[in-house]
Amino acid sequence: MSFNVLIVDDSNAMRAVIKKIIAMSGFKIDECWEAGNGKEALEALSHAWVDVIISDINMPEMNGLELLERLKKDELYKEIPVIMISTEGSAERMEKAFAQGAQGFIKKPFLPEDLRKTLYEVIGVGTDGQYAEDTASADGLDF
Amino acid sequence: MDNMLKIQQALTDSIFEVFEKMFYVFLEPADGPDGAYHYRAGINFSGPLRGEVTAVFSRPLAEVMLKNMLNIGDNEINEGLMEDCLKESLNMICGNFLSKHDSTQVFDLSIPTYASGRQVAGSTEGIDSEAVTLDFQSAQGRLRVVMAFPGRDAS
Repeated sequence: MSFNVLIVDDSNAMRAVIKKIIAMSGFKIDECWEAGNGKEALEALSHAWVDVIISDINMPEMNGLELLERLKKDELYKEIPVIMISTEGSAERMEKAFAQGAQGFIKKPFLPEDLRKTLYEVIGVGTDGQYAEDTASADGLDF
Repeated sequence: MDNMLKIQQALTDSIFEVFEKMFYVFLEPADGPDGAYHYRAGINFSGPLRGEVTAVFSRPLAEVMLKNMLNIGDNEINEGLMEDCLKESLNMICGNFLSKHDSTQVFDLSIPTYASGRQVAGSTEGIDSEAVTLDFQSAQGRLRVVMAFPGRDAS
């Protein structure tokens, strides 16, 4: 099973890092779209369907939380899983992101394993194509 | 004074963590600037604590950071990627510091700034006495980070 991913970050370098980690993690990616802020992300979504969105918070024009709010209010996009990835890791900020519908939160700086694990939990499929709940039951983990 | 020491420790820990996790660079504290900095990045933060963080990087250190972060070679380094890389480093250092300083509070970060070239030399000098100044060295080059609290008694 392969996925379409949208990476939203105003840093080209950080988008490249995230893209590289996903590729090295073994997830099968069909298309990887990129956007520099929330507005560009909405524009990208009008042209392409994605299975998961990974978004920074601190961006110009439209930040990640504003993007998340717009997505969750839109019937077409509200089911797309969103992972927030940010330096702003206060408990209140994380709670707000989850309350607004984010399904994952990764705090920068992060290790490649942190992103791989969160992607696995959010999209429910591991790098070998196995569903998370199957692996979870085998490992005795509670997802 | 105790508060400034806590800030200094949290900032130092944040810098080590960011450099080790994202850039695979291991820094050591150093005794002062060496005057050969080529890049500068800065960011402001506001909330229960307000201030600004400025960092100046030697060219060799900045180039290793970029190459390690993106796993690229010398011939792929360009000014745009360097700007992104160093701005992101300040974003992470500042965000990480604020989480360590007080994870129960919400802070806002500005969009980072960036400059390169000769004007960077000495650009962190003359900041008021309320600043925390940290110097680092590594096998790859030098770094100076200044956290200042304009118009506020941080002690």
